[in-house]
Amino acid sequence: MKFGPKAAGAAIFLSAALALTGCGGGGSATGSGNGGAATTSLTIAELGDLPSFDPVDAHIGHTMPYYQAVYDTLLIRDADGTISPMLAAEKSWNADNTVLTLKLRTDAKFTDGTPVDAAAVKANLDHFQQAKGRDVYQVASMASVAVVDPSTVAITLSTPDPAFEYYLTQAAGFVASPKAIGTPGIKTDPVGSGPYKLDTASSVKGSQYVYTKNPDYWNKDLQKFEKVTIKSLPDITARTNALVSGQIDGALLDPKTGKQAEGAGLVLTKSEVDWHGILLYDRDGKINPEMANVKVRQAINYAFDRKTILDQQFLGQGTPTSQVFGPDSGAFVADLDNRYSYDPAKAKQLLAEAGYPEGFTLKIPTMAGFEALNAVYSQQLSDIGIKVQLESVPQANYVGDMAAGKFAAATFQLYQGEPWVAINQMISTSALYNPFKSTNPEIAALVEEVHVGGENSSELAKKVNTYVTENAWFAPLFRLNQMYYTSKKITVEPQLQQAVPSIYNYAPAK
Amino acid sequence: MVQFIIRKIAAGLVVLCAISFLTYFLLYFSSSNIARNILGEYASQEQVAQKETELGLDQPLPARFLDWAGHSITGDFGRSWFTGEPVATAIATRLPITLTLVIAAILLIAVLATVLGMAAAVKRGWIDRVVQTGAIVGDAIPGFVLAIILVTLFAIQLKLFPATSSIAPDAGASAWAASLTLPAIALVINGVTGGAQQVRSAVIKQLERDYVRTLRSRGIPEREILFKHVLRSAAPTGLTVLSLQFIGMLGGVVIIEQIFALPGIGNLAVQSTTMGDIPLVMGVVLYTVVIVIIVNLLVDLINGWLNPKVRVS
Repeated sequence: MKFGPKAAGAAIFLSAALALTGCGGGGSATGSGNGGAATTSLTIAELGDLPSFDPVDAHIGHTMPYYQAVYDTLLIRDADGTISPMLAAEKSWNADNTVLTLKLRTDAKFTDGTPVDAAAVKANLDHFQQAKGRDVYQVASMASVAVVDPSTVAITLSTPDPAFEYYLTQAAGFVASPKAIGTPGIKTDPVGSGPYKLDTASSVKGSQYVYTKNPDYWNKDLQKFEKVTIKSLPDITARTNALVSGQIDGALLDPKTGKQAEGAGLVLTKSEVDWHGILLYDRDGKINPEMANVKVRQAINYAFDRKTILDQQFLGQGTPTSQVFGPDSGAFVADLDNRYSYDPAKAKQLLAEAGYPEGFTLKIPTMAGFEALNAVYSQQLSDIGIKVQLESVPQANYVGDMAAGKFAAATFQLYQGEPWVAINQMISTSALYNPFKSTNPEIAALVEEVHVGGENSSELAKKVNTYVTENAWFAPLFRLNQMYYTSKKITVEPQLQQAVPSIYNYAPAK
Repeated sequence: MVQFIIRKIAAGLVVLCAISFLTYFLLYFSSSNIARNILGEYASQEQVAQKETELGLDQPLPARFLDWAGHSITGDFGRSWFTGEPVATAIATRLPITLTLVIAAILLIAVLATVLGMAAAVKRGWIDRVVQTGAIVGDAIPGFVLAIILVTLFAIQLKLFPATSSIAPDAGASAWAASLTLPAIALVINGVTGGAQQVRSAVIKQLERDYVRTLRSRGIPEREILFKHVLRSAAPTGLTVLSLQFIGMLGGVVIIEQIFALPGIGNLAVQSTTMGDIPLVMGVVLYTVVIVIIVNLLVDLINGWLNPKVRVS
């Protein structure tokens, strides 16, 4: 675009005039952030819509900020993973870690005026368990909730749960007004005690939710904006366009769209949330007898040139690894990161030692988004003699087919959660990503130690990590960077183990 | 006339039944893991089995289809399996956005294609060459590529329009217009170029007919010949093309809605299909088929009104 000298002159005059009036105005309340006062509004995009505002429908991951804006949790998880007080001001466990006593703060109120008390907390926890929502597993160990006095609740667990406090910072911890829970109204018009209130008149299901500051909120430090808008933008092109055009202040992109965002001057916040690799499910050899041999599984691990694949497929956004536990999980063992470095000769030798010098055929599923990666993995495995047959599976069936034990191995990406969460996700016999329920006395004993380990459970989980890495239960390839981009109007702190930051982590840029 | 309408509606109903069964049949084969997807990764096998019973997923295909069809006839399309939102509400909140977009686009196409097509046919020369070339270029550029170019130019560079929808109930007409302008343009270009080409050839064909010569010989002004006689005779071609474009647009709008994040029917179709939310997918399919049938019926009626010969057949 080219302007003539007259137009340029007019533009300079106009912007000078605007700048002068801006200076003379003396601190306007609603700054736009362009070098003036700090912004008072936040607009971010999530990867999808939420099913409903009923806390029962809340689910860890991308939709959490929608709920965090309107509901407080019993405990709060700080950006670095530390669990701190929120509605519960104090917490204490009994000796065998089966009774958690929560002392509630007394100055919190729901937006309908009802006080946040022990009865309300009990009603919420009971309802969460009975309604059997998506995240009901979080209260699977909860046996009963008792109201000790108006500001104290005692939660009794049927068995110790090292992740229980963490769950109270997630879906299970949301507290809604007892007058609203269980009613159909809460699905679209949430009543919580959170930092913001939903403005239903400006919100559109499937598109955007607008929140305004809750005037009676007990913790002004968590209310950094007058207005918060969360848009649902599942399409990455739409997200990139919205961010680059200045329509939104923050969104999750990927390495390729990230280039465009960087070109437009947006700020990148990186965090390694997921590990990506191949889950070697069939450790008992039910589909592929070869897979029962630990040498075969180790050979698969040696087959991949992790660094090159990462550079080519993910533009280097991540870290190669051989373990499934993340650096901040507490169960991380630094030496395990390089346990299996690229060594096709060694892989072939291991296959020969296992009795398969000619290799074998392995069928793995593939779906939209994984085609290019699986092509690379097939190539690398064929180099050591393993012939891969790719079977296309509809996206909606992928997890279900894996969980039903239809495949001996599969490419996937899982988030690196708290040790106990991760163990129950892919290692214990009840884990979804352990479809053949692989176990043996040794790993079972290690898992049980973590289960009853209380405060030491993270440390004890290192042994589980070492076991599954040495025995090649998985072929982890890399921890991937989640690439969160923000405009210069705001700042954001990445949330540990979450692809998207919690709503509390945003602040206006100074 | 009444008989004609009844026949058309009856044919439409047959199509409706056939399409709903076919869709249900196709969805049936990808529905094996739906209960697991609804309940999430940590649900036990018992919970999954219980959910399957609750949703009727353990029933054979004919029983499931008849159950769905029975409820649908009474106007009960059920609720989304994933969000619990009634299907009728989900569609009612999204349909206005898609229809506003598509109808605006069709009206624009109708006007622009007629003007350009007639100009090309009557004036020939450079206008004709532009229209002809435009038809090829327009057909060659897919709507979504055009959409991305439009966003880059008008939303990101010039910041004239929002890059993604900012439609809200309290937003007012100007926000609607701003949000729908770029998507409408992306939808219109192909239609205008293709439509203009069709109008052009129809008008040229009419201009060569004997009646035009007769009218001219009787001294009737060229303008009157063109607008009162030629256009009327050429209209059925244009209308048929337009109705086809309208139907095609209901498909094209799916991608456009994704790019502009418009919370319309297309967006709903994509989400519900990828998740396997059968009640919602069926609802979307039914509404779309009904719209297509109505549009076809309207075009037939208008054609009949324009040209009495059509009514008899």
